Amino acid sequence: MAGAFDFVPAIAALPLLAFVISLFFGQYMPKRGAEAGIIATAGSLLLSVWTALTVAGITGSATSYNENLYTWVVGQDAGAVTLHLGVLVDPLAALMLVIVSLIAFLVHVFSLGYMNDEGETGLPRYYAGLGLFTASMLGFVFSNNLLMAFMFFELVGLCSYLLIGFWFRDDGPPSAAKKAFLVTRFGDYFFLIGVVGVFATFGTGLFAPIEGEAMHSFPQLAEEALHGSAAEAGVDTFGYDAQTWFTILGLLVLGGVVGKSAQFPLHTWLPDAMEGPTPVSALIHAATMVAAGVYLVARMYGFYLLSPTALAAIALIGGFTALFAATMGVVKQELKQVLAYSTISQYGYMMLALGSGGYVAAVFHLTTHAVFKALLFLGAGSVIIAMHHNENMWDMGGLKDKMPVTYWTFLSGSLALAGIVPFAGFWSKDEVLFEALIHGFGTDGALGTVYLLAYAMGLLAVFFTGFYTFRMVYLTFHGNPRSETARDPEPVRWNVKAPLAVLGIGAATVGLINMKPVKELAGAEIDFLHKWLLGPEEGGWPELTSTGLHHYEELLHDFAHVSASYPIGDEQTTLLVSAALSLGLAVAGVLFARSLYNEPEPVEHTDRLGGAKTLLMHNYYQDEYQVWLAQGVTVPIARAADKFDQGVVDGIVNGVSSVSLFTGSRMRRIQSGVVSNYAALMTLSLVLLLLVFVVVGGGA
Amino acid sequence: MTSRPRLATDVNVVNGLAAVALFVVMGYVFVTASLPAPSGFPDGSITASIGYAMFGLVDQAAIESEGFLVAFEIIDVLLVAALVGAVMLARREEDSGVVTALTDGGRRIRDRNDSADDDAETDGGEN
Amino acid sequence: MAIVTEYYLLLSAAVFCIGVYGILTRSNALIFLMSVELMLNAANINLVAFSFHHGNLTGQVFSLFTMAIAAAEVAVGIGIILVLYRNFQDVDVTKAATMRW
Repeated sequence: MAGAFDFVPAIAALPLLAFVISLFFGQYMPKRGAEAGIIATAGSLLLSVWTALTVAGITGSATSYNENLYTWVVGQDAGAVTLHLGVLVDPLAALMLVIVSLIAFLVHVFSLGYMNDEGETGLPRYYAGLGLFTASMLGFVFSNNLLMAFMFFELVGLCSYLLIGFWFRDDGPPSAAKKAFLVTRFGDYFFLIGVVGVFATFGTGLFAPIEGEAMHSFPQLAEEALHGSAAEAGVDTFGYDAQTWFTILGLLVLGGVVGKSAQFPLHTWLPDAMEGPTPVSALIHAATMVAAGVYLVARMYGFYLLSPTALAAIALIGGFTALFAATMGVVKQELKQVLAYSTISQYGYMMLALGSGGYVAAVFHLTTHAVFKALLFLGAGSVIIAMHHNENMWDMGGLKDKMPVTYWTFLSGSLALAGIVPFAGFWSKDEVLFEALIHGFGTDGALGTVYLLAYAMGLLAVFFTGFYTFRMVYLTFHGNPRSETARDPEPVRWNVKAPLAVLGIGAATVGLINMKPVKELAGAEIDFLHKWLLGPEEGGWPELTSTGLHHYEELLHDFAHVSASYPIGDEQTTLLVSAALSLGLAVAGVLFARSLYNEPEPVEHTDRLGGAKTLLMHNYYQDEYQVWLAQGVTVPIARAADKFDQGVVDGIVNGVSSVSLFTGSRMRRIQSGVVSNYAALMTLSLVLLLLVFVVVGGGA
Repeated sequence: MTSRPRLATDVNVVNGLAAVALFVVMGYVFVTASLPAPSGFPDGSITASIGYAMFGLVDQAAIESEGFLVAFEIIDVLLVAALVGAVMLARREEDSGVVTALTDGGRRIRDRNDSADDDAETDGGEN
Repeated sequence: MAIVTEYYLLLSAAVFCIGVYGILTRSNALIFLMSVELMLNAANINLVAFSFHHGNLTGQVFSLFTMAIAAAEVAVGIGIILVLYRNFQDVDVTKAATMRW
């Protein structure tokens, strides 16, 4: 009986089939293609769960899978590179497959309520876009080499463009779609150079080695190059010192990550992407596509751990973005904008965790964030349906009595986001900050200082997170209704409430997978995620794929020189103090928001910030800055290049043709029409020919 | 037309130099060639032998030759073709003027068609 | 004493070049045709000379065929000159120069 791993490509192929069906036959289907999408994502979910069970060892024998399924370019010469498409399934990939397919399924069901019931048009295109996106994201998750990951990376970017610009006849969405595409493309440019660099350096882009074909992975080769020397490992570092070159490659790939996961400075596209339909925002811009960047770093973690500089960059970018976006979320007036900045900020936490060596923390936060952010976006979608697509929070109010399911699930998600115990966000965010703290104190030199700086920024962002989250909750659901629509909201149906309920329960309970403080205190072995990513002590999948936590911890210590130390007593006390600190700040933020906004008629207290508010409302003028870069810097360069292309390059080509035309126009005057001239020419030619024969043929 | 013929002097002499050059070259080649002595014809009637050769009866010819029967027939066909061609080129068409090659962009045909209403029949060779 | 073959060749070259001279310099189409005849006959002289040189009658028979072809060619040529006259009202070959650049 074939194992789950043989069906892994079908996890992506089913939504792709739904894409084709929706595109061509959606107009004939009663739900305009939703049926195909729902069935396909349900199938993907079942297959993903089966795969996860197989990886856990419950069904089937093998617990990891790494195969090249299709060779699409064969390298002919000895040193040439061969390009494959393949599948890699290890615990990280299996977890991500389940998350993505679950969220995709719930979003498809929600779309029935948000799009179909609201009478939207053009739905076959919408469901086709969702299907293609799901297929691309799932394909990205199980890619086994960097080039294949890049291909799917670009495909998800394309689907994001198509779906943001769904309502393309209005002014906003096409412009927002273009901005999203261009900003992420800018980052992807560096990513592409990094991919080429990796292939040129290592000859392979595999994330994990394939035993059967004796193919090494590039993290493995990089590690060997640092152990011995680059030449011994067969690695070409182009004249640079090996670690410097690996840092350069890591930073290049980071360009794509920063763009896709909306970190500073390429974060400007995500708030504008809220022009798309809310289910799209939930799926793409909360739970899955922006997770692609973070997932890529986690996938390549064995490579990033070899370079402390890259880790420092990741941590610093993450911590800074967390604080930066949280401050901007404080003043926003539209519901989805607050959530967009919240997304940027939370991905900053994941980057902070990855940079400071907290692999489990990052994956944990990725999981919990996917659940509660999708929940919050779907809840916002429910509110938007009720408010007849008016997103301004100042027109809402008092919705909690009229929309109880939405209110309670949204509250569950908000508590998770703010990081209040025992909801999911508390456990994951606390672990992120704890890892940053202990590695900051334990590591020597500049790296430790960077970690502590990033930790401080992340900690401060916790306060802001609690504040803006509950400002949003109080303004939307509490108080008196501030407009007619809020007094009489439109009811939502089961297809909206059911996904909200599922995710609401998830946001409350998914933290149970890795409650590290409880484990430390009570000694109970309940850190399931940690075990999941650690694998068996001997052999098993960590030995086969080198992507296990043991291996990463070794690399963290040996190459990145990162170690942990517990500044306040021993590990347990430090853990408790850190948890208390982050919980305290979160609760402080919540209470501050409650004191300001939990009134029947709240006012816009952020006006008291004065000039700071203007700065924050304009997003620190980052958008204007990027537009200036495009218009003031790029356009003149493009113009100069165009002049060169038209003047020199085209000029040479046109010059060749004009020479030909000129000589032609002169030469054709030989055709004078007078027969005697032709005869004269012939006779002269004959004379010349005879002379040639006389001379060459040896005379008479 | 009744004056005595005069040497043509209004000709393009420059072109003629090419002919002179050709003669110089060919003359040089022929004069400096060393050919063996000509071997003349044996006794016998040359004309009769030519006749036999023309009809392919080579073995009855006194002087050796090749058979030219096929060429003779082909030349016959060629002469017929040349006669027919010459007559066709020279004839005038009955109703609409002469068979000419169009060198005026069809203006004559257009004029002829315009004036077809006026004239019942047109004269050929209008100048 | 037989005349050396080179002189016959020289004669034929002279006649041929006179014909070429006529083609190159004369403008009257009928003189043009006469020059062409000269050239063909020069070739005939050449053929007969070599026939005597080799003692084989092939050259002489071939020259008869050449003469027949020359006659056919003149017949068609005069037809063409007739058509030329009808179109250009003159038999001057330098006037009939419309097929030019």
